[in-house]
Formats: sequence, C-alpha cells, structure tokens
Amino acid sequence: MTSNVIGLFHDPESALTAAGQLKGAGFESLEIMSPVPIHGVEEVLGKKKSVIKNFTFMGALIGGISGFALAAGTAIAWPHPVGGRPIITMPPFLIITYELTILFGILATVLGFFISSRLPAFRNRVYVPESAVDKFVVTAPCDDAEHFKRAEAILNDAGAEQVREIGESDL
Amino acid sequence: MHRPMTTETFKLGYNDIHDDVVRSIVKTGPKYYIALATAGGVTLLCFFFPWSYQLYYGIGAAGMNHPGVWGTYLASFIFWIGLSHSGTLLSCVLHLTNSSWRKAMYRSAEAMTLFSLVVAATYVMVHVGRPWFIHWAVPYPNQMELWPNFRSPLLFDVMAIATYITGSTIFIYMGSIPDFAAVRDRTSGWRNTMYTLLSLGWRGTDKEWHRLHWAYTFLAVLIIPLAVSVHSIVSWDFAMSIVPSLHQTIFAPYFVVGAIYSGTAGIVTVMFVLRKTMGFEQYITKLHFDNLGKLLLVLSLIWTYINGVELFTAWYSGTSEEYEALGYKLFGYYAWLYWEMILFCAVAPMLMFSTRFRTSFVPMLILSIAINIGMYTERFLIVATSLSRQYLPDAWGTYVPSPVEISIMVGSFALFTTLFLIFVKIFPSVSMYEVKETMATPKMEPAAPAAGSPA
Repeated sequence: MTSNVIGLFHDPESALTAAGQLKGAGFESLEIMSPVPIHGVEEVLGKKKSVIKNFTFMGALIGGISGFALAAGTAIAWPHPVGGRPIITMPPFLIITYELTILFGILATVLGFFISSRLPAFRNRVYVPESAVDKFVVTAPCDDAEHFKRAEAILNDAGAEQVREIGESDL
Repeated sequence: MHRPMTTETFKLGYNDIHDDVVRSIVKTGPKYYIALATAGGVTLLCFFFPWSYQLYYGIGAAGMNHPGVWGTYLASFIFWIGLSHSGTLLSCVLHLTNSSWRKAMYRSAEAMTLFSLVVAATYVMVHVGRPWFIHWAVPYPNQMELWPNFRSPLLFDVMAIATYITGSTIFIYMGSIPDFAAVRDRTSGWRNTMYTLLSLGWRGTDKEWHRLHWAYTFLAVLIIPLAVSVHSIVSWDFAMSIVPSLHQTIFAPYFVVGAIYSGTAGIVTVMFVLRKTMGFEQYITKLHFDNLGKLLLVLSLIWTYINGVELFTAWYSGTSEEYEALGYKLFGYYAWLYWEMILFCAVAPMLMFSTRFRTSFVPMLILSIAINIGMYTERFLIVATSLSRQYLPDAWGTYVPSPVEISIMVGSFALFTTLFLIFVKIFPSVSMYEVKETMATPKMEPAAPAAGSPA
C-alpha cells in the first residue's frame, strides 16, 4: 500500500523545518505546497536546476536563424535589384531576425516551463486546496503504515496543525 | 521581499485578499451588467456598424483623400499601440528590479496592454479597407507567388505586433496560473471547469514555483526589448518616408517615450476606476499613485525635450520644405491642436512636482485623461500636419475626419471598455500570490479554521 502523508502548517518556517527533518529521516520525493513562493526551500530540499534557460536559448537561436533565412531567402528567390544596392540588405533583415528571435524565444520558454514543471497535469495528484490560500503543506509518499506513523510523529513535533493521509484511491 | 507595501495591507491576512479577489470575480451586481451592456451597445453602434457601412460602401466612406491619405485610423492605431506600451513593459521592468509596489496593479496593467493591442489590431483591419486580404501580409507559400517585401516597415509592423500580442498574452497568462488555481478551489459549476482548465493542474509545489519564477523572468527579459522595438518600428512607418517633418532620426525614441507616457497615464486612469468600482481600496493605494505620478513626470519631461529637439532639427535643417512644415505645425490650420497638446502633455504635468497632487486621486485621474487626450492629438498631428504640407504647394491640402471615422474612434474606446469589463470577471485582477508575498508571512499563532472547500 502506498499513501501520502500530508502535514499542514501555519507558517513557512515550521514547514521547512519539518521538511528538513523528514528528509533527514530518509523520506524521499518530498514536496512543499505553498500559497506563495518560499525562500530557503533550496537549502532544505537541495538545489534546483531548471532546463528552461536551454529552451529559451535554443528557441531564440532557431528563431534568429529562421528569421534571417526567411528574409534573405526571399531576397534571393525573388531578386529585386535597387540601384546597385546589395540583394541581402542587412539593416531591414536584422529587424526581422530580431523579432523572430524574440518570438521563438518566448514560445520555447513556455514549452520549457510546461515540460519542466510537468504541466498541464492530466492525472490526479496529491493536492490540498488550503495550500492555495494560507497554509504551507509538506507531503511525502509512504510505503506502509509504520512508515506513515514515523512521518506523522515528525510532522506533529515540528508543529503541524493537522496531519492527513491521502491514499492512491483518494486522489 | 517580505516588506509590507503600506501599513494598510500589513493588517490584512492571506485569507482577506483571497476573499476580496474571489468576491470581485464571483459577485456581480446590476451596475456591472448595466456598464457591460452600455459598453457593448456603444461598441456595436459606434464601431461595428460604421465599419460594416464602410465595408459595404468602400473606403471612400472615410474622409481620407489625397494628400491626407492617412487619417484618424492610423492615428488611432498608433495611439492604441502606444497605450499598450506601459502595461507589460512596466510590469517587466518592475519585476526585474524587484519593485514590490508593482504587485497590486500589474495584472490589470498587463490586461490593458493586451486589450489595447487587440483594439489596435482591429484598427489595422479597419484601415486596410479590404480586411479579407489581410493574410497577404503573412509570408506563406501560395499559388499566386505573392510574397511580402521584407524591406518594408509595414512588414516589420506585422512581425513586431504579432510577436508582441503573442508575448503579452503569454506573459499575463503565465503570471495568472497560480491565481487561477486559487480561484478554482473556491468556485463551482462552469467557473470551476474553466479555472481547472486554465490553471493546468497547478498545485503550488516548490518545484512549480521555481520553474514559474525562471520562466517568468526569462519572458520579462525577452519582452522588454520587444516592446521597445514595437513602437520604434511603428515610428519607422513614418520616419522612413521622405515627407518633411516625418523623416527624422529622433522618431523611434520619440514614439517609444510617447507610448510609455500615454500608457502610464492610461494605467492611472484604469487604477482609479478599478479601485473605486471593485473595492480594491486596500490594495491600490496612494503609494501607487505617487510612484506612477513620479514616473509620469519624468516621462513628460523627456517627451517635452524630444518635442523641442524635433522643432530644433526642423529649423536647423535650413531647407524651405522643413521650414514650411514647421510653420504649418505651429501656426497653421491644426495649430490649436498643437498648442492643446503642449498644454496637456508638457505644461499640465508640471503639477506633479507637488507630492500633494500626486497622492490625490481625483486630480490624478483628470490629469491622466488630459495626458491621453493630448497624446491622441499628438498622433493625429503627426499624420495630419505632415501630409498636408509636402513639398510643392499644389500638393497641399487639409484633412478632416468623416463622421464614420469619428464614430469608429469613439467606438474603439467602448470596445476596449467591453473587453476590460469581461476581463475583470475572468482574471483575478489583483495578483493574489504576489500581494501575499508583500505581506508579512504568517507567524505561529492559534490556528484559524481552514478555508476553502476540497476540490
């Protein structure tokens, strides 16, 4: 049986303390749900690295190349000589390049955000509605009842207002 | 980060803001419906009806003719693009500089950006006369071998504005995901379904916050140069022509500053209305008006300076056609509009040197509307005065808008209002999680009863 232990806290500091103690006791895949971003999560749950910047960079790069290719390709396919000026005119084509760099950069950032944060979510996951209002919630999956009891004790010691259990079937 | 914005918000708890914002969405009084019906009616009558007439009759229904081939359609287009410049741009800059006073007002400011852009894009449709051929501006392979000219500023416009609309839509949506999730848990029925879909299953985990923070920051970094480029490109529509008084290098910064100026004034107007009608007195405070007032004052000084530069450049050019255009602008047919613009945009804003003025709501509202009237005039004058005095006297003439054009101009404001009224009932118009961030974090206290019903 797998279930999830849920501890509700009134303030972010005790939620962080509880998360640190759970981690110390060997619990894994801890999550902290909160109404606002909490500062200091990384010190407790480990450094986070996001791949979004790679998406942004690659998107911008591809956008820039395709923007220039679009304008320059057009100029070569339909040459329009104007008084001996170059066929590939840099200043106006750089503007197209600039705009498409930003457009693709934005779209790739959104894609990176969705992929790295696992959104949109298509299946039910552990969630406590109070965490969107004013509660700070620590959750961890537990393998069995004995495991759950240990987690419950740690959460209560850290000052949890409430400890709940959410099983697979409750999702 | 946890610094309270004002002493007023300091007293509020996380729960209070939640209740206030959800109430602003769910509870709708008769006044709202009356406002929506009025705005919608005026939009239909003054915007879509004359436009249909113009489509049926032809572009001749508008008063544009040689030499005034650009009229209020183009002036309004620049005005609306300009108005869009403050919301997202200001929000991005203030986000990157960590200004916490931004947080209570940025959502509505961004909505203003989005809807101004929608109105501006609609104006393009009105202006081109045959909107069913608008897709010809987009580069796509077709059997006519019709392909746009990438050296034309009008095509830069298409690229820049399409990117800007995409970017602003994504930016306002990304920032709202946590708030959609919070509203989702408090609503039922069709609203619940809508917010469930909009929130994408957001749970507010540490990982999601971390990803949102970075994605949002990257978007802000990308959108700032984009916004600057958009109005620069709009200015090149004019500056790249060889019409006296339009062919000036100062035009790009002139347009960008003018855009941010009129956009910030627009924010003041919208903030005043939101504050009064939605009961957000505790979140939108004197502090916001004070800060926006300082910003407006700086922008007004820069704007005045650039206007001076424009006059000086025309005089210093020493060419007879620039002299003629300059004299016509200052003392010709449209001169009274020019001096009205100077009064509203350069002289009246000096009042904001006084702190007492900046922190008074009604005077700020009146001034912000006056600035935007002045800025609309500016855009009209750019189009009207320059085209009326080009080179040889046989090409001179005047332009006066036709009733169709005036009606569509009035209708565009109603269109904007209608869109905004729909927005305030769908989006949480104050960013809940970011206002919560500016408040003191909860400390250990006797537990309050848990709020919210299980989803």
